[in-house]
Amino acid sequence: MINRRFLAVLALVVLVYSASVGVMALSVSAGTATEKVVKFAGDVPGGDWGYPSPFGFYPRGPGYIRMSFIFDTLTWKDRNGTVIPWLADSWEMSEDGRTWTFHLHHGVKWHDGEPFTAKDVQFSFDYITRHRTAFKWFQSLSYIDHVDVVDDYTAVVHLKEPFAPFLVDIAGNVPMIPEHIWKNVSDPGKFVDKRAVIGTGPFKLVKYDKEQGYYEWVANSDYFKGKPIIDRLISLSVNDAAAALLTGAIDESSFWGQRAKVASSFEDKPGFAVRWGPSYWVLKVIFNCERYPTNITAFRKALAYSINRTEIVEQVVHGYGITANTGLIHPDITGWYNPDLPDYEHNVTKAAGILDALGFIDHDGDGVREYSDGEKLEFELLTPSKFAREAELIKSQLAEVGIGVNVKVLDMSTLDDILKEGNFFLVISGHGGIANPNILQQPDWPGGTFKNETYSALYKEQRETMDPAKRRALVFQLQKIVAEELPTYALYHPRMCCIYRPEKLDTWFFTRGGVGIGIPIEMNKLVFLGEAKKGEATEGTATPSSPAPRQPGFEVVCAIAGLLTVTYLKYRVGVRRR
Amino acid sequence: MHQITKIAGYVTIILAVISFNFFLPRFMPGDPLSFLTGAPGMDMPIVLDEATRAKLLAYYGLDKPLLQQFADYMIKLMHGDLGWSTYYNAPVSSILAGRLKWTLLLIGTSTLLYIALGIVLGAISAWNRGGKSDVGLLLLLLSVGSFPPFFLGMLLIILFGVKLNLFPVFGAQSPFMAYSSPVEEAMDILHHLILPATTLVITHIGGVYLLMRNSMLNVIGEDYILTARAKGLAEWYILRKHAMKNALLPITTMIALRVGFMISGTILVETVFAYPGVGMLLFDAVMYRDYPLLQGAFLIITLVIIAANFVADMVYLRLDPRLRHD
Repeated sequence: MINRRFLAVLALVVLVYSASVGVMALSVSAGTATEKVVKFAGDVPGGDWGYPSPFGFYPRGPGYIRMSFIFDTLTWKDRNGTVIPWLADSWEMSEDGRTWTFHLHHGVKWHDGEPFTAKDVQFSFDYITRHRTAFKWFQSLSYIDHVDVVDDYTAVVHLKEPFAPFLVDIAGNVPMIPEHIWKNVSDPGKFVDKRAVIGTGPFKLVKYDKEQGYYEWVANSDYFKGKPIIDRLISLSVNDAAAALLTGAIDESSFWGQRAKVASSFEDKPGFAVRWGPSYWVLKVIFNCERYPTNITAFRKALAYSINRTEIVEQVVHGYGITANTGLIHPDITGWYNPDLPDYEHNVTKAAGILDALGFIDHDGDGVREYSDGEKLEFELLTPSKFAREAELIKSQLAEVGIGVNVKVLDMSTLDDILKEGNFFLVISGHGGIANPNILQQPDWPGGTFKNETYSALYKEQRETMDPAKRRALVFQLQKIVAEELPTYALYHPRMCCIYRPEKLDTWFFTRGGVGIGIPIEMNKLVFLGEAKKGEATEGTATPSSPAPRQPGFEVVCAIAGLLTVTYLKYRVGVRRR
Repeated sequence: MHQITKIAGYVTIILAVISFNFFLPRFMPGDPLSFLTGAPGMDMPIVLDEATRAKLLAYYGLDKPLLQQFADYMIKLMHGDLGWSTYYNAPVSSILAGRLKWTLLLIGTSTLLYIALGIVLGAISAWNRGGKSDVGLLLLLLSVGSFPPFFLGMLLIILFGVKLNLFPVFGAQSPFMAYSSPVEEAMDILHHLILPATTLVITHIGGVYLLMRNSMLNVIGEDYILTARAKGLAEWYILRKHAMKNALLPITTMIALRVGFMISGTILVETVFAYPGVGMLLFDAVMYRDYPLLQGAFLIITLVIIAANFVADMVYLRLDPRLRHD
């Protein structure tokens, strides 16, 4: 009896459930027809990048991007990486490069209707410099001395010393915040009020859900650069972005390195298009320049000749990458990239020759060379788990020239500690930011064993050189020193792609040099303003066609299962009665 | 008297765990600043100068001596304040509350299901020992149960999410849905729950099933079963009232032990389905060396395990009358 009642209830639940899901599906499709909504997700699991206020986002590229939809800067970058006027219409630099005068755009309004003026510019630089532990991208803030207000639409930024990358790293990076809201906030990191996301930007935040990693923005119809071409923008958290694209849960996602290989399955799929971009990211081997024997430049060169970077690109990222510039700057950045550097093409004989000359010889014939005191030439190669495959390849490549390597996988924080203490020989590490010459400040970052006074002086000189051609020559020199001294050997630059549904939005592009200080994400706010459409070739885009509507399969299956159960029960009852 | 020692025992455990949670993360290499200012592998490198570093440490109260920090932490805890997460930049209590509800829903549903199913199937299997249903169940449950949860989850996603398009492939709820009624919302949540819960049920049912089967086999050999049969009681009645009741004792202990493990053990399933549970959060907290979050999360897990043990003790008393008179 109990059994039967239970089954009947179950059947009922299933029926009600399937019916309501069906209704829901209908109501959803009815609601989306009116406005233009674009949903996107990154291919990094976890869509939460923090509250999109200037002080709430997590210190990662996707966090800054989500904030940049709401807040504007004085300058911005177009798709070619050229600095373009944004909140400032024009600007002048003083002779000594220390004073920058900005002429602001007239009639810009904060989301709450208040006018944006030079006083807000003064307040923003002052406030963010004072709270630079809360604004996580504080790198260049220390160059700011103070800001003067000339009139409502003219602000003058005074620097402590000339700073060549000022227009990108400060003017194009520091978000402008409204004085009337922030002047009374003493701990900006903990201010996560609705008023904390009032900016001048093209979008207004509607909803943010930390647990689910969801963001929803609505277009700012009063935007001073024109209304965005979409009405609503949504960012989701997914684990498998390719699956989410296929089911229509998202309209766009980017893929990176070896994961970019999913692009091949989308390239010919109707309704999808693929666009490729560089990632401005490098994987490198960091050498300890203070410890014997990695402190010998010739020894580091021998290691470089032993490592086959082409094999790594083929095996690990399946060809979705290029061998790196040994001077770190990404080759796509034609303005800074020095193309005439040694690249240490794989050469076992050359490597062996150097090692022999240095006196590391395999006396006992076990395949591993020895130091002069007879100890084996063996190292630990430290790596985070992400790059374990690269580490194993390097291990086998170094074994060919008679260097023993033990791969040790560590978590990031531990590795960071070891790098800071200088307690290592070889470490594999990866990072972005290589579109910006700033990265050359410490080429073996996050390590710090490379100390070279000529180099540091050159770095400081380029930072203060306002003449572009002269600065370029200095940045070339810096790269040459990195490539020749080899404090770190750059392995590869992965490629990335974005896959999207052109019928939803087809203006995606990768910004040369990255967004802001160099974020490689295809989410320049210009994408949503439709600027890219002008003069945009349709390279790499497949013919768009509408995707199949969601099939009501699940509901049907449930209903059939429910009906079958009920029929079966009736049948059973009938049998009993007989 | 007996009750008092028991309560004292629980309090001691909680205090020990609190201090453990406080000191252990701080003895790990690295600190929360690594991730705030650019750890290796991060997308944008940031070089941190000493002055800013000191400022950051002071902001998070990490510049004080360790014992002072511990005292501060204990005082705050007494006031019910779990602290402020360094990475997530939000109160630990609200982060945990937001995540815990999903974990409890997922674990609660799947635990109830796999326990109930495991017990029933184990009992049926033992009762028909050597028969077709026994061998069939044994083979089926052992083979599907040996799938790694990650793989199984991916399989379900590809099959039911992408190919058949029956279930959503990620999340615990449709994003930003405007629900017209609470029933609709409940259905949406249920819709998202089915695949991850199924994955957990399939991966965990084998253990319960096997234990129940063995336990039943022991009980079936007992004299009182023979007596019951001799009395002419119906098979179904003996199975339920005599055999199953006695066979359930070891299961209770096992379930209590499993609850704590489940919270952290669902991490793989949470990852595959991008389900916003505590497991993922815990993993990130360790990665980011987010001390306040680590302390809060481990404290909650400890409390849940202790509560589960307490419940198991109570249930045991009800199931086994002999213990009541001790």
